[in-house]
Order: sequence, then structure tokens, then C-alpha cells
Amino acid sequence: MKLFYSALLLMCMVGIGMQPLAAQEEPAADSSPRVRHWVFGLNAGLDRNYHSVDMVYMTDMRFDKYREGSVFGFRIGYAPTKWLSINTGAVLIQKNYHMDHVFQYYNLRYSLPTTTTNQYVNVPLELRLSVGNTVKIHAFGGVFGGYWLSSHRSGTTYSFSNDRNYEFDEDWEFNDKRDNRLETGFTWGAGISGMIIGRIEVGADIRWYYSTSDIQKPYMVNLNPRYNTAFAIQAGVSYWL
Amino acid sequence: MRHLKFYCIVLASVALLLASCRKEPLENNGNPNHILCRTYTQQFETIWAGMDQGYVFWDRDTVDWDKRYEQFKPIFAAFDSRPANNPVTYREFAEAYYGLFQGLLDHHLTARIYTPKGTPRGACEVIIQPGENDYVHPTYPDQERNLQLKALRKKAIPGTMKEYNPNTTYGIPGSYFCLIKGANEGELIAYFRFTGFSMVQMHQMYEYGSSAFPDAVKAQAPAKAFYGPRYHEGINMEGAGYANNDSVVGIIFDVRGNGGGSVADLSPIVGSLGQSPTLVGYTRVKEGYGRLDYSAWSESWVASPANAHLKKAKPIVVLADINSVSCAELATMLIKALPNGTFIGERTYGAIGGLYSGNATNIYHDLFYDGCFGDYDYFENGPDPYKDIFSFYIYTSTFHMVDNNYGDVEGVGVQPDIEIKYNYKLLEQGTDNQLDRAIRFLRVGH
Repeated sequence: MKLFYSALLLMCMVGIGMQPLAAQEEPAADSSPRVRHWVFGLNAGLDRNYHSVDMVYMTDMRFDKYREGSVFGFRIGYAPTKWLSINTGAVLIQKNYHMDHVFQYYNLRYSLPTTTTNQYVNVPLELRLSVGNTVKIHAFGGVFGGYWLSSHRSGTTYSFSNDRNYEFDEDWEFNDKRDNRLETGFTWGAGISGMIIGRIEVGADIRWYYSTSDIQKPYMVNLNPRYNTAFAIQAGVSYWL
Repeated sequence: MRHLKFYCIVLASVALLLASCRKEPLENNGNPNHILCRTYTQQFETIWAGMDQGYVFWDRDTVDWDKRYEQFKPIFAAFDSRPANNPVTYREFAEAYYGLFQGLLDHHLTARIYTPKGTPRGACEVIIQPGENDYVHPTYPDQERNLQLKALRKKAIPGTMKEYNPNTTYGIPGSYFCLIKGANEGELIAYFRFTGFSMVQMHQMYEYGSSAFPDAVKAQAPAKAFYGPRYHEGINMEGAGYANNDSVVGIIFDVRGNGGGSVADLSPIVGSLGQSPTLVGYTRVKEGYGRLDYSAWSESWVASPANAHLKKAKPIVVLADINSVSCAELATMLIKALPNGTFIGERTYGAIGGLYSGNATNIYHDLFYDGCFGDYDYFENGPDPYKDIFSFYIYTSTFHMVDNNYGDVEGVGVQPDIEIKYNYKLLEQGTDNQLDRAIRFLRVGH
């Protein structure tokens, strides 16, 4: 949590420290403004994933509302006009969740927690609308496709033969029948940016990755869907060509 | 800036619309613990849903359970719409449920289903065990056991044969023990046979008293006399006391025809053959109602009793066959997992998933999201023909177990290191070919 809010504060400071330069315009030799169309950037940040599961009557299962992870990626943008750009790229994003199986049996309280760390690559395609000159404010929205790269889980389960809890820490083996590794969804958010030195721009944004694809394949009729929604805060640096 | 408000409104509207892109969650999955069914359809739906959500082998099973629903739902609906003068017959009822369960992998699975509305009244109870093997013996285990005992007597050194409850009086498993000559003069092979595993349970009943199992209490005193007073803590080593003898160069542990029992026996009886805890395999349960919502695998160790185990590793042969079931298969896996253990005989039955049953059946089912469910009272005491309830009890594995190489054993059985098939003709003539091979292995070393 502290890390998350520290990142938010850092990005606000980055926004405040930006120099008052035009985003994609700079004075040319003949003193007429030269418009730059292409931008490449790197960004990194933190995210919190909300793993949505319908609990039906699983009253002994507790899912943490949010779980933190990290984001790292690059972006490629094309700006046909000063206020509109089309952006894509690739983002390595963690969509983690924590589950605790809590129950009481013969006056003893049991807790069998599992923390699952999921690594996804998301490829967004979004329209970005910008306002402002020296410091720009953006709002953007679009779609994304993704792939579930890997998963790892650790926690406690119950051992039958040993009649006691058992600690585990293992890579998740994907099951072709169960796991839907392809992901689609929508992304939207808002951000702030400004030029600092020459063609280098820094910026920060907040965004949601709202997945519309179930993480499970429809392998059974009575299947309860599970979805990820990641909220990311990220800062980055871009270079205008 | 004047466009900003417009953009924000557009984005917010899109965001709201997106929420409708997700599938709606299920409204009601049907609690599998409902046991008060009033119609054929309700009973079928409850059993189907209980298996759908709480059967632990869906990752391996090839049965299309959704298709079974489509196939059998109309049949049970038709039963409900029958007029009173045309009641459902036993045959129709049984055929429908046999069809529903046919081909399921779980070799522990026993479905007991009862309807009070069939013909004749109160007699419509079906008992289904779908986990069948292609390979079976032409004779019954009791018959085989007597013939094998006869053959064993020929091999035993005179005066060493000890028998306890060989005919499983009171329904309580028996045991034999004897010494067989080794390869060289003065060398001995210790032979143990267990026809079932319930020694610790018996001990507990004896110690704490149990009016529910008076037979077990009755059998306790002779058990103590045979195995020694502390048999439940290391039966072979303390009770019989032979295996640690230096002149014993090998051990035969025979669980042929052993129908299983309680895992509480594993450590004192079988674990005592090892010098340290043995990793037998891995187990897992479920963590949700999805068929493939599995927990992580957890290691299954069997302890070696601290003061009552085999002090020095000696070659051990476990003899098992197609009639070695459940706990007997675990014993086979355990000995096979020992560095000095060898399995001779034929594949075991293949019912290895652990079970939690009993009065708390449905609590266990809720805790582990799988396993037995239904009316345990009906299972214990039989149907009550005066109760107008469609009772059922589904006895199915709570734990999916694999061996210590993650090899699946359910429905497949534990595979022998040296396969020697059961031979009834030879046995009738007084020769136990499986026992002979075990003796030869311990005498010759291969």
C-alpha cells in the first residue's frame, strides 16, 4: 500500500516538475513550428488487481478485494493532430490475487491462504485525446489483447495423510482444458505529460485494464466466471521523432 | 479545455457500457448437501450437481457430465409425470442411474439411491459401483485366501505359523505370521499378512469404549494377545518381534485380497518397515465448485514409529493383487517407495483416493469442496420405507492421490516391479506362484 501511494506521489511530483515546452511542436530553423507525429516511450509503475469471482455460497472463501503488482512496458504513438493520437505498445503487467480458505471445525479455526501471482502481457490500442500546451492533460480509451504468460502460487493447503497443513510454493501448471490464456478487454484512463529536454517528454497516467474474457475456458456448463480488472499507476519517458 | 468535459462524458459512458460485456455469474449452483428431495427430478438434479462440483477426478475422467445431464434429465422428469397407476419400476430406476454413473473413474465411488415411490413400495434402492476393472479373478478373495494359507503352511518353518482371526470373524481383519527358510542355513524370511487395516481403530474402540462397535471390542483381547500390548504403536516390530532379528534377511508383506481400511494403520504397521518417514505420494482436494478448481499438491509422508521400526534396512517384498484395495494399495505404494522395497504380484485395484465419510460427511464436503455427500444416516442404517424422501448417499473420494512420481494410480492401480499373475489352477494344487516368486527373490536377490 505504501509503495502504491509513494508511486502516486512521485508521479504528481514528476508532473509538477515538467518544463513549459510544447508537446509535439518545436521551433524550426525558419521559425515555423515543426509538427512531430511519432512517439516512443517506456513506462513503469504499480497496479492493483481486482479478481472478480461470484461466491455463490462459498462463504468460507475470502478473496482480497485488491492485490498489488507491477507494470512495465513501452508505447508507440502516432499523433495526426496536436490533440489526438493513436497509441499501442506492450505492457508486462501482474494481475495477482489472494484467497483465504477460512473455516471453523471442532472449535478450531483454520486458515488456508493462497497468493497467486500472474504475469500477463497486454497490448493496448487506444485513442488519446489531449488538451493543453505546456503541460498536457490526456484522456484515453481503447481495447487490449493479452496473453497469460505465467502463474505462481504459494500458501497453505491440507495434507490428507499427514493430517496437518502443508506449505507450498510452486509454478502453476496451465491446464489446456481449463485456463484461458488469451485475454481481451477495454482500457481507459487519464494522464499528464510535458516536455523536459528537447524531444524528451515525461508523463504519468492512471489506467484501468478491464478484462471481458473469463480466465477459464467454458469447459463446463455450471461455470462461475472469473475476471481480472487491473488499476495501474505508471510513469514514463517518451521520445518524439 | 472546452472539449475536456465532452471527452470525459464519452469515456465514462463507454466505461459503463463495458460492464455489460462480462457474463453474468450463476444465480444458484444447487447445494449438493440437499438431502430432502421430494421428486425424481430434484433427486437427480441434486446428485448431478453434487458430482459436477464435488467429484475430484474431473481432470482425468473421460465422461461428458454435461451430456449426461442432457441425456438423463428428461428421463427423471418423465418419472415425475407418471400417473399413480403406472409407478416407476425398480428396473427403470436402476437403469437410469446406472446409465448416469457408467464409466466414472473413481474406484471408491458407491452411489446408493433410494426412492419411496417405486414399485414395489420402499424397495427401489440401487447401489452402483461404476469403477470396474477388466481384469478380475475367477474366484472370491475368501476362497483365494484359504488356498493361499494352505500353500503358506507348506512353506512355513514348523511351529512358527501364527494366525489371528484368519476368517475375519466379527468382520474384523485377520493376520498371519510365519518364518520361512532363507537361502542359507540359519537365514530366515519373515512373512506377514494383513487381510485388512483397522488395528488402530480397534484399539481406540477398545480403549475408549464403543457401543456402536461391540464386535471390535470383543476382538481386541485376542488381538492384544497375538500382537502384544502395544501393537497399535508398531505392530510388527514390538508385537511379533521377529523382523529385527539378525537372522531375518528379508521380509514378505502380503496384502493380497486386502480390502483396505483406515490410514491410521499405515504408520504403525507399514511405516515401521522403514527407518525414516517415507514420501508415498501427493494428494490434493478442490478449492471451488469448478470441476478443475484444484488445490496445490501436498506431500503425503508416512511416519516411521520412533521406537518400533525396523532398525536395519532389509529387502522387503510386498505381495499384492487386483483385490488389494485402497489402504492396501497405499501400503503397496509405501513399500514400493522404500529403497529396499519390491512389489511382486499383479496390479492393484485402483481405488486410492482418500475418503472422509461418517456423520460429518457433508461438513467435509463443504470444507474440501469434494468427496462424499448425501444422507449418511441412510447409508448407515438403510432406507426408511416410511419416510417419503428420495434419499441418497454418494460415497466418493475426497482426495486425489498420485504416487511419489506424480503418476496416476486411480483406476489404474499400482504397477508391480515383477508381475506374477494369479494362477488358480496352481493354487488349487497347493502352489502359490506369487509367494514362491517372492521367496525366490529374497533368496536369490532378483
